[in-house]
Amino acid sequence: MESLTIAAVTKAFPAKPRAHVALDGIDLAIRPGELFFLLGASGCGKTTLLRCIAGLETPTSGQIRFGERDVTRLPPHLREAAMVFQSYALWPHLTVGQNVAFGLEERKVPRDEVARRTAEALAGVRMGDLADRGIDQLSGGQQQRVALARALVVRPRVLLLDEPLSNLDAQLRVEMRREIRRIVKENGLTAIYVTHDQEEALAMADRMAVLHRGKLAQVGTPEQIYRRPDNAHVAKFIGETNLLAGKATSVDATGADIATAAGALRATFGAAGWRPAAGEAVQVSVRPEGWALAEGEAPDAIRGVITDQVYLGQRAQLTVRTDLGELQVLRLNPEGPAPVGAAVGLVARAENAIVLPA
Amino acid sequence: MDRRTAWFLLVAVSLSMAAGFLYPAYSVLQEAFLDLRTGKPTLEYLGMILADPVYREGLANSLLLGLCTTVLALGIALPLAVINHRHDFPLRRALALAVLAPMILPPFVGAVGIKHILGVEGSLNAVLGSLGLVPDSGPVDWLARGRFAGIALMNALCLYPILYLNLSASLAQLDPALEQAAENLGCRPWRRFARITLPLILPGMFAGGSLVFIWAFTDLGVPLVFDYTRVASVQILDGIKGLDRNPLPYALTAVVLIVAATVFLLSKLLFGGRRAGSAPRPRMQANPARLGGLGGWACSAFFLGITAVATLPHLGVLLLSFASHWHGTALPAELTLAHWQEALGSALVVPSIQNSLAYAGAATVLALVVGLASAWVVVRSDLRARHVLDTLTMMPLAVPGLVLAFGYLALSQEGKPFHGLIGENGSPFLLLALAYAMRRLPYVMRSSVAGLQQSDPVLEQAARSLGAGAWSTFRRISLPLLAAHLAAGCILAFAFAMLEVSDSLILAQQAEHYPITKATFALLTTLGNGTELAAALGVWSMVFLSTALIGAALLGGKRGGLGG
Repeated sequence: MESLTIAAVTKAFPAKPRAHVALDGIDLAIRPGELFFLLGASGCGKTTLLRCIAGLETPTSGQIRFGERDVTRLPPHLREAAMVFQSYALWPHLTVGQNVAFGLEERKVPRDEVARRTAEALAGVRMGDLADRGIDQLSGGQQQRVALARALVVRPRVLLLDEPLSNLDAQLRVEMRREIRRIVKENGLTAIYVTHDQEEALAMADRMAVLHRGKLAQVGTPEQIYRRPDNAHVAKFIGETNLLAGKATSVDATGADIATAAGALRATFGAAGWRPAAGEAVQVSVRPEGWALAEGEAPDAIRGVITDQVYLGQRAQLTVRTDLGELQVLRLNPEGPAPVGAAVGLVARAENAIVLPA
Repeated sequence: MDRRTAWFLLVAVSLSMAAGFLYPAYSVLQEAFLDLRTGKPTLEYLGMILADPVYREGLANSLLLGLCTTVLALGIALPLAVINHRHDFPLRRALALAVLAPMILPPFVGAVGIKHILGVEGSLNAVLGSLGLVPDSGPVDWLARGRFAGIALMNALCLYPILYLNLSASLAQLDPALEQAAENLGCRPWRRFARITLPLILPGMFAGGSLVFIWAFTDLGVPLVFDYTRVASVQILDGIKGLDRNPLPYALTAVVLIVAATVFLLSKLLFGGRRAGSAPRPRMQANPARLGGLGGWACSAFFLGITAVATLPHLGVLLLSFASHWHGTALPAELTLAHWQEALGSALVVPSIQNSLAYAGAATVLALVVGLASAWVVVRSDLRARHVLDTLTMMPLAVPGLVLAFGYLALSQEGKPFHGLIGENGSPFLLLALAYAMRRLPYVMRSSVAGLQQSDPVLEQAARSLGAGAWSTFRRISLPLLAAHLAAGCILAFAFAMLEVSDSLILAQQAEHYPITKATFALLTTLGNGTELAAALGVWSMVFLSTALIGAALLGGKRGGLGG
């Protein structure tokens, strides 16, 4: 188990007319044994950061440390940071077993131990009986397991996973999520996992970092990121949200009172604890499931009219037209369709409304 | 593509291949295996060849020449290709093109130039003399001393670009993640090369290697210029000069064909069926690491050094074309434009350029039509017979030019089926165009196949779904998408047709119909300043070919691995 420190890492690719800055001053501290996710839209720099950790790219500036050891300039083959590639990168001229044994052979592990550990690693990903198969005889899911076994068998200091599930179908993806988390935890590995799939990140991560245009947008546990986003970008990227424009009327230790064009509401702060000044223009993020339909005469409710609804059995998605624009509202276990055209009032509890910089 | 069109194209291509390629090749074999008097099949002539110590020596020398050339060429090409694949160094783009320079000079013309540098009275001895290094026994005749080695080296220096291009293409198609995964698992650069990279590019290496081997094994031009008669190709040429129905040269040709075809088939069998590391298209761009400082300049120097040595023959030819007198000095004592002027007035030079342009141009068009049609069937149809077509169109690579030229010669005699291809005034235009086209077909075919494989059939299906017919889809969608590949293939085919030696030497009989290569040979054997005139002509063909090849590199290079 090893901690991983990324200090002020910047990576610029030469391009004309201006250099393309893929990573812009990233600082991260990843704890030993943590399954850490790098999440972001494509082009946000997450894969570049992973490749810098693997040593396949060299940062333009900044430092990467495994434990206390500076590895920024260490060539990839000396890093002990095994990687699972998005394309799996299994060698077509070697069998499944030879692919897995490769890293052990490079480490001059005695022959019988190579055989034993290869068999164990393949058994660990439930591929024990396919060691003699050729790579092109495997399905996508099997290739994925072999790639995982090949990286795990060398007992890396850090395990790197680059969108390992993106080539699999939906059902297998869900299965493999549990599988990868089980393997990482059983082996006590520090693992960095890159994905653009927010559901994957929420389901698997101990902690995660959301990247946006080469910068860290937020770092935290899945719950922190989802429930207490620090900025509008994170709120929109992870899950769905309604962003309401408003003005802070008063700010105290636990939250702020916000006045909007359609009514007033009470909001809490994001995870980083940013506070507006009284009178400052702000945005408030309320998730669709954060709304409740007001019962009876609620004076503070935001008034609107249901314009559309999608009934999905376990839930119903309502579109409500208000003075703040169209808002998305989710009702769980709806007992019947709400009538389109009906007037409703929407209320949100303070912990479901997050005040964000405008 | 509907199956009717596919069948039609398949049959049409197969018939033209049968007539233009299989039949002439078969007719050579037939002469070798049929008894002259009784007409019955016999192995007698083959036995006579294998029993004759002179022919045996010729075959052994040819084999050894092929082998040495291939090993030498690989020794040059492999480091070049790998360095260019892995590192970025100063002047990389320009140097990666410069190492292709040998391709613009026919090896035998280069041999003329090298003779003037390595001969008894050549530049090397002159330089050594001025340094006081000449032995007491008098200047060394470097060529006579190492005639065999000289031919092998000359061939290797001329042919390594074929291997370099094959290796570069294989490396370019390699998914970089495959190498990175090895690095990531703790593999050192050298071991990674041996365990991952080399096995994955082996198919490309053998494909290129077998081409180089067959070329050197059957090459006629260089041994002729070096006056080295103890190789099979020269023995065949000497044998047919009489044309008195002596079956032995035919039998020797058959042996050469069998060896060449075996090598070709072996390399196909060993590596053809296996999926190379290119099977999934690379997802990432290979990004060569920038080598700064001394390492970078060392790479540049390596490329420059190879180019310098490889262009020595070019330099020799160039100097020779300007030399009024060049004996015993490092550089010509006096420079003159007289040869250039005289060359323009020579009855051989200007017509030969015109002839070559016409022959090679017609051949390229023919090769394009046949090559594109067969590539289409091979890539886009589901006919089982398409594999046969694939092999058939690649077979000209396995059949030495000499064999085919020989077949054409025999079939164009009075009363034989190809006699009609000879024009009224004895012009071999149709004969040579057909022969060149057949030999260069594989180049057009391969680049068409590559182009078709890279363009998604969905693009064509979209056009069909919007109401475009088959022809209209081909013209408006497929052809524009293929254009770069086709142009690259055609330019290579054209360039190599201009350089073709065997067909040209054997099939062009009258001076006014000589192509460039035959005219060069004719000039070389002329007394007086024939050699210098040949050099001037050689420079002309260099100018032509460098223009053509730079065009090919610019058009197809980014995809084919050419140029880098």
